[in-house]
Amino acid sequence: MLSNLEKIIFVILALCSLSASYVTFGRMFKVIRLGAHPIRWSDVIRNWSKGAAAFFGQKTVFKTRPIIGFVHALVAWGFTLYLAVNVIDVLYGFIPNFKFLPDNTLGDIYRFFVDLFSVLVLIGVFYFLLRRFLLNDNRLISREPVMLSDKAKRGMFFDSLLVGSFIIVHIGSRFLSASFEITLSGADWSQPAANLVSNLWTDIPTGKVKTLEHITWWLALGLILAFLPYFPYSKHAHLFMGPLNIMVTKERSSMATLGAINFEDDEIDQFGASQILHLAQSQLLDGYACIQCSRCQDACPAYVTGKELSPSALEINKRYFLNQNMKAISDGEIIEKQLTDWMLTEEAAWSCTTCGYCVEVCPVGNEPMVDILKSRQNLVMMESSFPKDAMETFEKMENYGNPWGLSPQDRENWMEGINVPLMREKKNADVLYWAGCSGAYDSRGREISQSVVNILNEAGVDYACLGNEEICTGDSARRIGNEYLFQTMAEQNKETFKQYDFKKIVTQCPHCFTTLKNDYAELGIELDVVHHSKFIEELINDSKIKPKPYVNEDITFHDPCYLGRHNNEYDAPRNVLQSILNDGKLIEMEQSKSESFCCGAGGGNMWYEVKTGDRINQNRIGQAVDTKAKTVAAACNFCNIMLEDGVKTTGNEENIKIVDIAEMVSKGLN
Amino acid sequence: MKIAVLIKQVPGSESALPIDSEGYWVDESSVTFVMNPPDNYALEEALLIKESNDDVEVVIVSMGPLRVQKVIREALAKGADRGIHILEQDITEKDPLVIAKRLSNAIKSEEFDLVLTGLQSDDTGMGQTGVLIGEILKMSTATLAVETIIQEDHIRIKRELESGWFQWVQLSLPASISIQSGLNTPRYPSLKGIMGAKKKEIHSLSATELSKEETLQKVNNVFVPQTNKQTEIIKGDIDQIVSRIIEILRTDIKVI
Repeated sequence: MLSNLEKIIFVILALCSLSASYVTFGRMFKVIRLGAHPIRWSDVIRNWSKGAAAFFGQKTVFKTRPIIGFVHALVAWGFTLYLAVNVIDVLYGFIPNFKFLPDNTLGDIYRFFVDLFSVLVLIGVFYFLLRRFLLNDNRLISREPVMLSDKAKRGMFFDSLLVGSFIIVHIGSRFLSASFEITLSGADWSQPAANLVSNLWTDIPTGKVKTLEHITWWLALGLILAFLPYFPYSKHAHLFMGPLNIMVTKERSSMATLGAINFEDDEIDQFGASQILHLAQSQLLDGYACIQCSRCQDACPAYVTGKELSPSALEINKRYFLNQNMKAISDGEIIEKQLTDWMLTEEAAWSCTTCGYCVEVCPVGNEPMVDILKSRQNLVMMESSFPKDAMETFEKMENYGNPWGLSPQDRENWMEGINVPLMREKKNADVLYWAGCSGAYDSRGREISQSVVNILNEAGVDYACLGNEEICTGDSARRIGNEYLFQTMAEQNKETFKQYDFKKIVTQCPHCFTTLKNDYAELGIELDVVHHSKFIEELINDSKIKPKPYVNEDITFHDPCYLGRHNNEYDAPRNVLQSILNDGKLIEMEQSKSESFCCGAGGGNMWYEVKTGDRINQNRIGQAVDTKAKTVAAACNFCNIMLEDGVKTTGNEENIKIVDIAEMVSKGLN
Repeated sequence: MKIAVLIKQVPGSESALPIDSEGYWVDESSVTFVMNPPDNYALEEALLIKESNDDVEVVIVSMGPLRVQKVIREALAKGADRGIHILEQDITEKDPLVIAKRLSNAIKSEEFDLVLTGLQSDDTGMGQTGVLIGEILKMSTATLAVETIIQEDHIRIKRELESGWFQWVQLSLPASISIQSGLNTPRYPSLKGIMGAKKKEIHSLSATELSKEETLQKVNNVFVPQTNKQTEIIKGDIDQIVSRIIEILRTDIKVI
């Protein structure tokens, strides 16, 4: 089809485009490789199926926003098909009278799908442009007072327009080109849409149609050549950086486990991240994978309640900072601008409850929460800049071994009047029952501990408690960013564990649970830890306890973040509740299971208050009230405290009560 | 400029305080010890002075058994330069004059320009040590500083008086000043500070070698105050009830 001159021009342009792309892509990957904690690129092979499920199956896009997700899938599938179409079209341009599998069913099927998806992609992208530029869907922007750089604001507008126009012109031209080809060579029913459009050109002289075919061919393929070097600067790079990110993201035992820091290593002089290259390579890759859909922002309890944090703004700021400095960084320049000056504000970092919803919901495997935790480590351990209340919490943990700052000698007070065996007397037991600080000091927490003990006694479990020998696991210290204090607490508990013989630990607090199970494992402290929901479920299944089904009213269950999203346990607490339901039903809140909305206490937020915006626990209570259930079952001491506070401050004391699943089961035993 | 910050280790406000078997002092085995909170403000003030002036050395001075080295390390982690530990095995309470004499002997040769103390200790609350040291070492002294300004060879301080009044005084150096709590926000040590503190020097001195003087006061007995509840149901008409309540408030509880 192409003249010899056109062929030469195309080859020259292709060479220019490929060389320029080599430079820009090279910069992008060099920047990523300059980050901390190297990515294991061999994971691409190991995790190929995850990448394929995301790329071809569009699996991760359907987690939320199903309609938009479906439109996206059509566009993505169409675009994937076009990777082959472009190659075949180049052959069509270069080889005279070339036709891919002419007069062949397979060829016709190919042409039919190209025709179909051309139309679907065009409709899809028009819809996306409409949504962004005319419908002003506020899910695509961040409200005040979230920090989003001017560079990012302008860049998002420009890039979205550019990517949208590119796809429309690219696909549209290819589609028109096909229709001109049909006009020239006769009807082709395998391409019904292009065939229909070709009727428009029947009155145009053949020579002009040929020229138009050339123009559209050049627009379709020339545009690819023009766009290719720009790819690393555009969010459109998500189409391959997203699946790549899914394949190489660090596998964590739980979402918030960042890996232990070796404080004995004198070579480490930076703890946490204060500037861009302190972030791990996979965190830099996150910036390139982000398509700015802001699903994480929709999910974020801090954003929803009006605080300064938006996980997507964090990633978008990161992306535009990288774009702006890509050449400088890849040339080896160290850019010392503090993350808190351009990526997220300090207040935004403290607003995160580490609920993990942003990580759960991201279609491209980004972990904004990890950036926040790394940033907190820097603020705490390097800058000593963090909420005053958190400082008092650290001091209480250091001095008294618990964040409440109550006497270590009072840890056993909750056992008064009930029979609780102690490890220091028993020396060994099958189960070490870990009541935790809230289970020992908080008045409601004590009632929950007493219920757990009642269940253990009823089931005849061989167990014992550490009592005054127990100290805080260090959960809040680690999430707030004080890794050093966390490790100090862990080492102290490790020494206590060594003195006794036990098979597993049972705890009612998901924070203690995940810390003992996942975080301690990072320090080489291997423990078999079970959350009380799972343990009680097993006791019921093994008929060790037979709680009466006595509940005749509806119950709704609040999933604790550190039990659900962080440890994937959704069924055990629900099964436990089913065992005591008689006439009542278990009804779900608007957000439940992996989409559950945080109580507001996680990530150390139990101990300090971010005053901007509404209170997270009140928002959650609103969802509970909407179910009309009179009882909210919880399975976390922090959730219990936060939700009870939410009930009181929203004036719902008459309407709703918060009860732990252990209390409900215990009641069914007596 | 050399600043000494005197820091005492005291039982934490939430610590258990069991009395020992002889009823003579507390049984230390289950006591949680912390840095005396008012001294933490004195330390922060010294560190702020260090940060805003050139060539300032902050030295921590603490007296007590080996356990007090924990608070010295804590202060070093926050940014103090070195520590002096006056080892005193005898934990029984002594009168402030003996304590002040021992501390004075320990720091005399250092020729500090400034001695900062918290306004009092949170355990026995005598509030005299800083002033006595000032007198013994012939320094100018002042109490209850809420603001300090270093000016060449003197220091200006704002003192808190009663009823919301303040007083500015100027003292020549060397000076011994007690610091009112709440004038600043004590810091949390950075990790660099914690690591660095391990390498900082703590010089140990023996308390008994510093002064042989015996304590002038002796604790005979310590006990936990007996608490009891009294309930009186007041009956009668309104006037009778009101006059009885006034009587209780005036004579029994003495609040009006």
